[in-house]
Formats: sequence, C-alpha cells, structure tokens
Amino acid sequence: MAIIETKDLTKIYTIGRKRTVVGLDHLTLEIEEGELFGILGPNGSGKTTCLKLLLGTLFPTSGEAYIMGKTPYDVSMKKEVGFLPENPYYYEYLTGRELLIFYGKLFDMDKDALNEKIEELLNLVGLHNTQKLSLRHYSKGMLERIGLAASLINDPKILILDEPTTGLDPIGCRDTRNLLIQLKEMGKTILLSSHFLSEVERVCSRIAILHRGLLLALGRLDELMSKYKSSNLEDLFVKTINEYDEKIKSQGVAQ
Amino acid sequence: MKKIWILACNTVKESFRKKTTYIIVLFALIMIASSEFFAFLSSTEQYKMITDTSFAVIEFFGFLLAMFGSISAVSSEIEKRTIYTLLTKPITRTNFVLGKYLGMFFILLINFSIMAVFFVGLLHFKKIPMDSGTFKALFLIFVEILVIASISLSLATFTSDAFNIIASSFIYIIGHLTGYGRQIIGMTKNIAVKGLADMMYTILPNYQNFTIRDKVVVGIPIPWQYVIIVTGYGIMYIVIALLIGIYFFRTREI
Repeated sequence: MAIIETKDLTKIYTIGRKRTVVGLDHLTLEIEEGELFGILGPNGSGKTTCLKLLLGTLFPTSGEAYIMGKTPYDVSMKKEVGFLPENPYYYEYLTGRELLIFYGKLFDMDKDALNEKIEELLNLVGLHNTQKLSLRHYSKGMLERIGLAASLINDPKILILDEPTTGLDPIGCRDTRNLLIQLKEMGKTILLSSHFLSEVERVCSRIAILHRGLLLALGRLDELMSKYKSSNLEDLFVKTINEYDEKIKSQGVAQ
Repeated sequence: MKKIWILACNTVKESFRKKTTYIIVLFALIMIASSEFFAFLSSTEQYKMITDTSFAVIEFFGFLLAMFGSISAVSSEIEKRTIYTLLTKPITRTNFVLGKYLGMFFILLINFSIMAVFFVGLLHFKKIPMDSGTFKALFLIFVEILVIASISLSLATFTSDAFNIIASSFIYIIGHLTGYGRQIIGMTKNIAVKGLADMMYTILPNYQNFTIRDKVVVGIPIPWQYVIIVTGYGIMYIVIALLIGIYFFRTREI
C-alpha cells in the first residue's frame, strides 16, 4: 500500500507578470510503507518543490498529493511525519535542547516522554555535550545533526529528508547513512532527496530521477541500472539526464 | 489553544533574547525621566508637561515596539526559513498567526508595564497627584498599541517589511489626524478625492479615540462607559486585522 502518493502533481511558478517556470510536471509516483526511496536530480529539477508540495508549504497548480491517504494540509498527518529541510535554519536564540523541547511540545508530547526522547536523540546525533549551547554557535554540521534529531522527535512513521548530508564531514555522512539504514530496519518509510549519489546508491532500494520538473526514471535501482546499461548510479544519472537533454536539443533542431 | 500558547511562548523568548526590545524600552524610560527638564516651570505647568510628555513618550515607543515587534515576529520566521520547518509540524497557519499575536500581547504587556510603572513612580516621586484618569489614559494607550500590533502583524503575513513599516506608520499618522483630516476633506471640492479620503477614514482606525491624555492632564473626567466603548472599538479592529492576516497567510506559499 502506498504511504506517499502523488497524482499528476504539477507546480508552475509565476515570475513577474508574464513569465512562468515549471517546477514540477505531472509527477505521479507511489512510495510503499517501509521503503527508503531516493529522489534525485540536478539543481532546479523539482526535488525540493516536490517535498514542499507533499508537506503543504507550497500549493499545487494541479494534481494531488497524499501522505497516509491524507492531504498535505491535514494536521493529523503531520503528527506522523518528520522533516529535515535542506540547509536547516533554526531559532538561533534557542539552545539545542530548547529546540527539541519546542518541537516536541508541538507534538503534544508529555514532559517525561519528551525528556527521555531528547536524551536518546542527543546521544544518537552526538550533541549531548553541546545541548546547552545556543544554536548561533553551532557549526553547519552540528545544525544538520540537531535538525536530524528534531525530525525524529515525534518518532515519525515517515521521514522526509532534503539533503541530509550537506555540511557533514565524512564521519558524519557515514553516521547518517548508518542511521538511515537503522531507521529503515525499524520500519520507517524514508523519502530522501540528495545530490550525493554514492550515498543514495548505498541506502535506497528505489529511486526517481527528476530533471526540469519531469520524471525521467522511476524504479528499482538494479532494474534501472540494467535498463540503462550503467555500472553505478552516477553513470545511470548522467546517462538519463544527457539522453533527455539530447532529445530536447534534437527536437529543437528539427523544428 | 495549547499550540497557540507554545508558539506565543517562543515569540516572547525570541523577543527577550534578541535584546532589541530592551533598547527601545530603555530609551523610552530615559525620555520619561528627561521630562524633569521642565522643572523650571511652575508646579501646575510642570505637572501638565511631565504627564503629557510621558503619555506621549509611552504611546510613541509603544507604537515602535508594536510595529517593529510584530513585523519581526512574522518576517524573521520567513526570512530565516524557520517557518519552513515549523509549518511541517502539527500546527495550522491560523495557530501560527494567533500564536504570534498572543506572543506580541505578552511582549507589549511586559514592556508597557515597565514604562507605566516607571511613569507612575515618577509622578509619585514628584508628588504629582494621580487619579483614575491617569490609569484610564494608560489603559487606552495599551489598547491602541494592541491595535497597532494586530495591523502590523496582519500586514506582515503578505507584504514586505519596508511596505509594512510605511503602511503601519501611515495608518498611525492618519489615525491620529482624523479630526484635521475630516476638516480638510470638508473643504475639498474634488468628489473623487473626497470619496477616497472618506472611505479611508471610515475603514482605518481612529487612534484619536484612544487619546484622552489632553483631557486627563487638565482634569476633565473620563467616564468608564467611554473607556469600555473604545476598548470594544479596539477589539473589533484587532479581530478584523487578525482575520485578514489569517486569510492571507493561509494562501501564502512558503
């Protein structure tokens, strides 16, 4: 059963009075419960637009999006979702611990359960010693890690992560990768948007490749690699994008 | 209601940790204390000047706190992208607007109380007589500040900071010049200008209704009935402003 679903999801941005840019073009995909699904694409391909539409911070031009069968504006759905934005910005006047308390309270967590969860998460992301430091003193990697802890505060069924390894050092990247595998084993559904193809290749079972808002490839990683005769994800990614660009170019020349 | 309270507490925390609020209040206290400058006047005139100046200072700095505080409460979330994460939590956009306003209510209450206590302390120290009129004037200034905050907060949900500062200041000035404005409109022959100005004065709040300090200073009694009616008038504007803010914020893309 699909736990995340989009049907012809389209977003057209209006820039100025006349110019329009297609952010996402009739995206239809289904993500099953317990999957670790990778959404890939170059800059401006529509990855973040897709996540924002799923989370209800953007409104679609047409099409539908559902998480657990509920629309992105359903507050009860949000109780089951954890989200880590790209380049996370948090309240710099709060300490790491206060940030987790703030978000935990929004999930109606009681004090004891919240404190227990915070201890667990601070240890998990290795920020126990800096929990009383205000976030303005955190490095980019530390912000990424506190963001990851914040996304897990409600013990979500679904995790939506936008570039979770940006700003992390190699050890941080490895820890995050291991954590994702661990979370998948715990039965969480994870939607991972990333530029780091090697990370995606190691953890994701299925992927979608977006380019210029269009879905170019969707399926199991091994099946797609075999279809595109690629030895690794990077090769697959480049071939898919180039193939599309050349097709568009040749169509333009023909016209 | 619990979510609104949590968001309000975070707004208050942000205001007090950023410290900009302290500077405005400190400056206001210095201005109130500097009314001592009128010590060369006779005692009756001194009383009037100190009281009138202090009321004006509290009102003006209250306006600055309400406008800049409300703008910052919303736009800092948007500019620093904290809103992006916040709206993915189980809160509604209505919760967000109301939480921010409730937070602003407490921020203004605390800062206004500091200024008011300082002012009352100064009157007591100078042995200047106080009556219920002094407190009625202070109360209505507070209601006016709450109206200003609701308008700035509502505008912050769909306009830029620069536009908001200009619009809030414009409404503040126009709202205080209603009497003169109506006189000028009466003299205008251009029907279009007259109609536009009439419409503006009908829609925008008349802040002069909250200003009773001129009467209090010269000892004219202000009935409680007037205070209650004007408070109701203020609450009406607050509700309308917040409803407009909620409407626009619910349709805003982040």
